[in-house]
Amino acid sequence: MTKFYVVLGVVAAVGISAVVYSIGSTALGAAAMEPIEVEGLDDQDVLVAMAQGVTKGDEDAPITIVEFGDYACPGCGGFAMSVKPQVELLLIETGKAKFVFYDFPLTSIHPTSFLAARTARCAEDQDKFWEYHDALFRNQTSWRLEASPISQFLSYGEDLGLDSEDFESCVKSDRHADLVSANMRLGYEMRVSSTPTIMVQGNDQLLMLPGATFPAIQAAMEQIAASVDPSGAN
Amino acid sequence: MSNEEQNVGGALLAAPPTNRMVVAVLALGGFFVALYLFAHNLGLGGPIVCGVGDCATVQSSQYATLGPIPVSFIGVLGYVVLLALAFVGLRPDYRESRMIGGLLLASSLGGGLFSAYLTYLEAFVIEAWCQYCVISAIIITLIFFASLPEVARLKTPGAGH
Repeated sequence: MTKFYVVLGVVAAVGISAVVYSIGSTALGAAAMEPIEVEGLDDQDVLVAMAQGVTKGDEDAPITIVEFGDYACPGCGGFAMSVKPQVELLLIETGKAKFVFYDFPLTSIHPTSFLAARTARCAEDQDKFWEYHDALFRNQTSWRLEASPISQFLSYGEDLGLDSEDFESCVKSDRHADLVSANMRLGYEMRVSSTPTIMVQGNDQLLMLPGATFPAIQAAMEQIAASVDPSGAN
Repeated sequence: MSNEEQNVGGALLAAPPTNRMVVAVLALGGFFVALYLFAHNLGLGGPIVCGVGDCATVQSSQYATLGPIPVSFIGVLGYVVLLALAFVGLRPDYRESRMIGGLLLASSLGGGLFSAYLTYLEAFVIEAWCQYCVISAIIITLIFFASLPEVARLKTPGAGH
């Protein structure tokens, strides 16, 4: 019987520790982790006004490359690390296009992606959105499966020199939950169903690309350019 | 000494049933797995940790509750019942108990069937797996097998209660 009680005690100790650690370690406070109901989004004008993406590049560029992305999505990580640098170098910096990122966290399969999206918007408050966006994708494998990646998120902000007090209070609140939720709603309205979804917009056309590759983006831009001038000359 | 007194003495001297010890240990493990899921249902502890599978999909599906009751809470209660039965069954005066044996068999069979139904839902309806549900299904299956020696106890003439 002694061995039985020892085994039982070990199981109890491991179980209690695991549950207490799981519940106690999160320290999320009031951090909003999931989309919220935002009033008025049924009105298209309100939705467009509320669902603000973040733009990189010349606001007057003739072409807009749109991404609906999820920070916890490996495909978006691949796009951010391998395709987006080409887009920036060859299209954004040359003024041919601008890039707009919309949040589309797939919360049903990535439970922390809404928090990640909100956290990036907290970095935007301190004018470090793109740096933070890149940090989230660069470090994706180290946080995406964590129950509570909040300490990693805060450390990325610290590395970027964000005001840590402001940043932490933003992350541990519901700030920007309405903005990210509105972004998601816009994505649903535009029939986005997966991430990354890339669209190319210009000359009153909006093309949803079949794949998030640089050649696909170039082909869409050429298609739009050809529609401006049927001869195909720019 | 009467026959009845000899039987009671025999039961007191009999070694504690190993299968009930196994049930107790497994039920305690299952209790913590179910408690973890229930804690998350209550909003404690943030999102569920999923290394493999997709707990969030399973836990947010319509099948995660039975009416207003979270399935994980049913799991917590079920394991508490199994743990209590196993403990009572280890007491010297209940070691040969047919009633405890019958209850153990019935509850582990019921739990196993319910768990099989939930596993079917994961595989064919929700089409997503939650590893904690799978672990619980394995535990309840093992508990059922550990309860099978109770069949022999039920058939034993003169077993108590």
